[in-house]
Amino acid sequence: MGKKLTARKAPEQKIGSLVAILCIIALYIFLFCLDNVLPASNGNVQMLITVLKKGAIYALVCVSMNLLNGFTGLFSLGQAGFMLIGAYAYAIFAIPADQHSAVYQYFDGGAIQFSIPEVLGNVLGKNGGAFLGALICIIIAGCVAAIFAALIGIPVLRLKSDYLAIATLGFAEIIRAVFQWNGLGKITNGSNLLRKYTNFNDIQIQVGGTIFKLGTIFPFFIATLSILIIVLLVTSSYGRAFKSIRDDEVAAEAMGVNLFKHKMLSFVISSFFAGVGGALLAMFQTTVQAAPFRSSMTYEILLMVVIGGIGSITGSVIASFLYISASEWWLRFLDSGGVTLFHTHFNIPFFRDGFRKVVFSVVIMVIVLFFSRGIMGDKELSFAGMIRRLRGKKAVPAAEGEEDAQ
Amino acid sequence: MKKILALLLAGLMVFALAACGTPAEPAETEETETTEATEATETAASGDTIVIGVYEPLSGDNGAGGKQETLGMQYANSITPTVDINGTTYNVKLEVADNESSNDKAVSAASTLIAKGPSVILGSYGSGVSIAASDTFGAAGIPAIGVTCTNPQVTDGNSHYFRICFLDPFQGTVLANFAKDELGASTVYCLGQLGNDYDQGLINYFKQAAEGLGMTVITDSFPEGNSDFNSYLSNAKNQGAEVIFAPTSISYAQMIVDQAAAQGITMPLLAGDTWDSNVVLAATQGKDVTVYVTTFYAEGGDVDFENGFKDWINGDSTNLANNGGDDMIAAVSVMGYDAYYVALEALKAAGSADPADVLAALPGVTYTGVSGEIAFNDIGDAIRDTAFVKQANTSDNVWDFVKVQSVAE
Repeated sequence: MGKKLTARKAPEQKIGSLVAILCIIALYIFLFCLDNVLPASNGNVQMLITVLKKGAIYALVCVSMNLLNGFTGLFSLGQAGFMLIGAYAYAIFAIPADQHSAVYQYFDGGAIQFSIPEVLGNVLGKNGGAFLGALICIIIAGCVAAIFAALIGIPVLRLKSDYLAIATLGFAEIIRAVFQWNGLGKITNGSNLLRKYTNFNDIQIQVGGTIFKLGTIFPFFIATLSILIIVLLVTSSYGRAFKSIRDDEVAAEAMGVNLFKHKMLSFVISSFFAGVGGALLAMFQTTVQAAPFRSSMTYEILLMVVIGGIGSITGSVIASFLYISASEWWLRFLDSGGVTLFHTHFNIPFFRDGFRKVVFSVVIMVIVLFFSRGIMGDKELSFAGMIRRLRGKKAVPAAEGEEDAQ
Repeated sequence: MKKILALLLAGLMVFALAACGTPAEPAETEETETTEATEATETAASGDTIVIGVYEPLSGDNGAGGKQETLGMQYANSITPTVDINGTTYNVKLEVADNESSNDKAVSAASTLIAKGPSVILGSYGSGVSIAASDTFGAAGIPAIGVTCTNPQVTDGNSHYFRICFLDPFQGTVLANFAKDELGASTVYCLGQLGNDYDQGLINYFKQAAEGLGMTVITDSFPEGNSDFNSYLSNAKNQGAEVIFAPTSISYAQMIVDQAAAQGITMPLLAGDTWDSNVVLAATQGKDVTVYVTTFYAEGGDVDFENGFKDWINGDSTNLANNGGDDMIAAVSVMGYDAYYVALEALKAAGSADPADVLAALPGVTYTGVSGEIAFNDIGDAIRDTAFVKQANTSDNVWDFVKVQSVAE
């Protein structure tokens, strides 16, 4: 993802963009097979699906954070707060009407008594309603997060560096407490979970008599689309203005860049996609509760951005998939009392519950200490660059980074 | 330097991949030395092994309780490591996945378990994580047996989640009756954690029942991570409360007990099943506090079981550490023990290890366990009409049995 190319068309770039498009098509075919052809009972397939879904969601959230922190130079720590808003906005509008009394059991069935997927389902049929309804709810989620961002942005964006980080972090914590407040219980369900809304398992199409599941493709589709929009934004004149603010505010202002307007634009767009990411996370989790959206979630995302490289979109994407795979899948064996290698079981006394987290922390610390520029630095992975390299033309310094070539 | 590190990291990743690339191999979970010795000789082919998934929090806020619940299952597994289905003997293997007490980790922990191919899932301690994983288990068609998750929403509206414990509406009513009949309270101060569905849910049911009995109920919430309860306790005192009802998680319970003792608050502290823990009991020692809890099991209910469990706990330092450092029996361990046998009964009734067969057989399963009779109703909840009330003995480090409380219909 994110291999959209700029206007300068060298022959390598043409081939590169072709390869990129082919890769994305291949990825989608693979995802489709994963859902429908490969056996779900196979343990590795099951884990791969889980990790891919969550990885795609985090990739989107990381890229949205990177837009703010990496490209505009605004050190904001409010990501979890905007995801929380997005997740709730999505869930609230997607709970089927007949489930309201069960979900809002302490709040007399809640205040909102309709569900967008259901309303659309009456017109378009169940599958169409679920797909389009989810899409609309995701857009609503993004918009609500963006509106909050616009309101918060007015006072907060006048602050710089550390103070901005503190203010946004505080906002995220406050918003969590507000959503847990019983006074808003009729809408947010207080401390209790929102559930039963349209999730990834409901996204499917019926062709003839067969039902094809699209549960894994859907988050990828939304994430690809969103990241593509961010890439287009970053490579546009707005993107250049963002980068000039990052590099030197005074110089940018002298060149005629309206600082506040551009900062606000970046903040609102970043929050919009964080809200979209939150909505996808809600779909993935099948339940939403405010409690897990604490500041540690923001740090987790920040960590992925740093590991991937601040200012690199492909870096963020790669890092989020690596991070999610490692923490949710590959390193789980550290908790299980030993390892099985070559059909022999080794009992290792350290390997018990919690050891995974210790090892993971150490690995992360090593990365942050010794690879402080992350996997990609501020370069982008591009097929055109690879082709150039394969052909042995390594002269051009901008070979790897189209986005940062100026 | 960087190259070496990069190589090391890459090596680690490859190692990790290699290790999880072979999930079908019989990887031992945490078993004691003794059971390993007897079992190692008959390392069965994977076809002869039935996997039971254990979905519990082993870290996070509820880590202490989750570990104790898991211990009950592991003890049961060490006593009965096999099950006979239609005349064939299968080995039963427990696969544990840590849900980290967090709803956002619930789905991947559940997927990890499903990837191991379990016939049935046991767990979890904590209702929130159970609800969060419910759809994942349901989509995979694997039945789950909740052990001590008391929120009605766990089993409500689905056909694959069952539970062997009582429910919060019942527990809240029991507690309210106890507060009125035994403690003679007319004003109760309820304190729960903001954002915790267990606390808020139980308080909600308590409030309903208590107001129905004519008591005055004051509710209050503290934010996550709070460590100073002095203002809340003073507030309770100033408002003329005669009982404090604080069904919080264990980590907050310790602080509440400590600070109540420090403030000289002598009014009874009342709580639900979470406080029935040796950690909370240890916090009450030598202090002038009165703590009552409702729970699933009272010590002395089954002496053989208790002795066996204590020997097993003391025989292994890991188990001892997981039980909080002593051999006191937590009610959740008893429930974990019973849940394991309910799962075995379901497997026997199903006549196969196929999750679909187990799911079909589960509603009809009955079992008389250490904690009492277990049978399921239409929703999938255990039919239970009694809870045990215990009081912390502040000098002998034991829970004193107070009474069996049931709800007058």
